Order: sequence, then structure tokens, then C-alpha cells
Amino acid sequence: MSDLGVGRPTKRRAGSAVGGLPVADPRPTFDGGAVLGTRCAECRYPTAQQELPWCPVCYGAMDDARFARTGQVWSSTVVAIPVGTHRPPFGLAYLDLDDGPRVLVHLAEPAVLELGARLEITGTDDGNLLASREVQ
Amino acid sequence: MEQAMLWGVGTSAYGRFPDRRVESLAWTAVAEAVRDAGIEPGEIDAIIVGSVFGPPGVATRVQRGLGIPGVPMWTVENACASGTSAYHEAVEAVRLGRFGCVLVLGVDQMSTLFSGAIVPEATDPEGASSLPLPGLYALQAQRYVGEFGVTPDQLAAVAVKNKRNGTDNPRAQLRDAVPTVQEVLDSRMIAEPLTFLQCCPTSDGAGAAIVGGERGNPNDLRIESSVLVSGALWDHRSEEAWGYASVARAAEKAFAEAGRTSREIDVLEVHDAFTIGEIITLEALGLAPRGKGAELAPSGYTTRDGVQPVNPSGGLLSRGHPLGATGMAQLAEISWQLRGRAGARQVARHRVGLVETMGGGAAGMDGNACVITILSTQS
Repeated sequence: MSDLGVGRPTKRRAGSAVGGLPVADPRPTFDGGAVLGTRCAECRYPTAQQELPWCPVCYGAMDDARFARTGQVWSSTVVAIPVGTHRPPFGLAYLDLDDGPRVLVHLAEPAVLELGARLEITGTDDGNLLASREVQ
Repeated sequence: MEQAMLWGVGTSAYGRFPDRRVESLAWTAVAEAVRDAGIEPGEIDAIIVGSVFGPPGVATRVQRGLGIPGVPMWTVENACASGTSAYHEAVEAVRLGRFGCVLVLGVDQMSTLFSGAIVPEATDPEGASSLPLPGLYALQAQRYVGEFGVTPDQLAAVAVKNKRNGTDNPRAQLRDAVPTVQEVLDSRMIAEPLTFLQCCPTSDGAGAAIVGGERGNPNDLRIESSVLVSGALWDHRSEEAWGYASVARAAEKAFAEAGRTSREIDVLEVHDAFTIGEIITLEALGLAPRGKGAELAPSGYTTRDGVQPVNPSGGLLSRGHPLGATGMAQLAEISWQLRGRAGARQVARHRVGLVETMGGGAAGMDGNACVITILSTQS
């Protein structure tokens, strides 16, 4: 697909998926039952980010937290180009976890979903949160 | 406080130039800007460079050819707003009397890094999840489709408008043909609902400007306002599409500083990396209420002969998007428009112009930075 780097000096970017060196994984963690993150002890602000110095909303202390694996779709799309190790088509959605943060999830079935659709995170795929329609 | 003025602008051509040294792109832009300002290189007392992918040290390698040694110089990175962030620093420095004549340079060479869409940043939570930039914008577009009933035709109309403008821009990367709305929609899907012709190309290029104080030159443009804001949290509390709030934050300050309303702007260059981007940006700038920005291109309001022409250069969609250079390319177009030197692209009313550049891509923030500047002629 590319003749980049053939017979000439090349630049390099971080990330083993694009031929660079490995970096620490910044993605949210799923332990099988919950999405792991932190929540402010004062204002209850939730985030999937860890190791924050303080609450980015009120400067309170952040405690470890477990977030529901279910939530509502804020928006979704189907990507039709290859990205990193992903071959198209693959579905992505912003999912507002119940009582938790907005996280980016991969869809088990690539499709554009209606706003507010209920999803549940069922596991991870190559480190990405993987979600499908919530089973009622 | 000094009144900051735009003395001159210059750009390279925009396109894929993997065989050109990045310095040569920069020198082309700088030489034109220096000529345009009517100064000698030795009058420059500071250099500020905006670039995203550098490479590291690019500013010094450019400087080596300019004969402007020893002056204060630094490089800023604010994603796609890097060039205009550098410009904003120059404006502030002149206003405060720190420098009298500043060279601003925006430069990036994307073709030697990416063969298609920008590879997402591996250290970013969403980049590591393989969210490409067109995917991020597609998520905003789908939200607009679901929330406001924005149609594919309305999205495509932005691409048709800007690509029509681009055919009259000899420096634009894509200027061979004007697609129809149907051809835009029929081009290959990138991320639903954004098709190939709704995405800006991968580009190389440079743009430069000379910013100084008042010197009694009627060609100089008055910098009525220049505002830079950084990002704020974009999270589960955010109902607005990603990007909207950062542009709105900058717009409120920029219009207040200039003492103007959005209706008083004659011509605009805004950040249309993807069609939905222009729509959301124009709403944030106050040209349309939220959810109604998609009507601006189809109605003709933002065409070159419309009430408020937007992206007469062809925008990022046509001119191209060498990240750090983009803001300076926008500034150059507004300068040529206001001075009545835009040739076939010239708009009818050209007294007050606006440049908006929005850089983003870091997960969970409504932008990395947004710069808005309003300029006017002295007449």
C-alpha cells in the first residue's frame, strides 16, 4: 500500500502497531465485570484515566473505581479504512457508561446505532473495549 | 499597548512533495512573506514556528538559510492550530512591545510520514483504540444526523462548495474538478457518513507571515483581535459535539476583543478538515444556530458570492492540510482577500476577515487548541 521508507531515510512514530517501539497501554481496563478507572471523592466525577494528580473538575482526591459495563450510545460510526492492526469495516461508538465516564468502544457487529442505544461491554479485543447490544 | 499589524504573508504550494526538503518549502513561504512586507530579512527580531510533526530541529535548519542568527526563536505545537498559535504569540509579543517585527512560520511535511489517514497516536487512549481522525469527526457527524436530522446531501454540499473554490486557487492541492453532490456521496466510504471527498488530503506545505507594529503602510492589515484557547474536558457531561465548545470559547473572546458581531465578518477561512467540521465551526462562530449550520452551504449563504463567503481558498478540503502550515495558509488567503488581491477567488465585500483554526485529537478534551483572529483593512 505504501512505498514509504523504500530506499530512503525514514521518520518513525511511537507504537508497535505502526512499526515503532512499544508504548505503555493508555486504554481503559476491563476486568470482566467492570471498567476500571477513578472517581473523585468530593464531586464524584468519574474517569477511565488512572494516575491523575487530582480531580480535573474540583481538585479533590481520586479513588479507584469500578464502572458499570452498560451504558448508552452517544454516537457511533463504521470505519471503512484500515487503521493500525484493524481491517475494515469496524464499528466504533462513544458509550456513556451508566453512572460512569464516556468511553470509546469497538462494536462486536459493525453498524451505525441509534443515539441512546443500550450496549454492554462484553470483553476486550486486542486490548480494545468490545461492546454489543445489551441483553434485556 | 501597540497595535499589531499584519505586514506580509507568503506560502508554498500545497501538495505531496516527498522529494522536497522541508526547509525548501519553508524558504519559499518566508521569501514571499518578506517580499510582501517590503522588509529586509535583517529587520526580523524574532522567529516563531508552528509545526506538529517537525521534524525536531526544523526551525533551526530553516533559520540556517535565512541569515537571521541569534534572535529569539521557538517552536510551538498545538495540533492543527500550531501555525496560528505561533502567529498568536507573535501578535501578543508585538502588542506588548517585546518585538517589533516577527517572522511566523508554519510548516509540515505529511507525505513522508503517512500514506493515507494520519496514524493515530499510540500513547492516546483513543488513538491506541484505532480511532482515526476521520472516525472522530464521523462520530460527530453521526451525532448531528441523529440529533438534528442533518442529511448526507447537506454534508456533501460543503465539499462541493470548497472544492469549487479550490479550482481557482493555483496553490491548492486538489483543483482538477468540481464534484457534484452525488459524486461526493458516491466516493468511497472512509467512516460513516464521511466519504473520501469529505476528507482533506495528506499534504506538505508551509506558510509564513510578518507581524509588526503600526508603520504607516496602507497595505498592512489591522489585527483587531487574536485569541488562543486550549482545550477543556469533553466527557459524559458534554451534549455538544466534540470541538464545538473550544471554538465557541475562542469566538466569544475574539468578537469581544474586536468589538464586532459575527454578522460583520465579510469573509472567513475556517477549519474544514472534514465537512462536518465546517458546519460545527460555523455554528460555534454564530453564523447559524446549533443544528442549523448544515443549511449554510446548500443555501448559498457561504458560497463565494454569498452573504458570508467561507473558505474561498478551497479550505483544507481542497487546498490541503499540512497541519502546522494550515493556519498560516488561512491567514494568507484572508490577507489576499482583504487587500483585493485574490484574483479569480476575490469576494465582493472584503473589509473584515476572520481566520479560525482548531486543533484536536487528544482524547477526552474538546480540542487541543483553537485560535481565532479578526483582521481588517485600514480604509
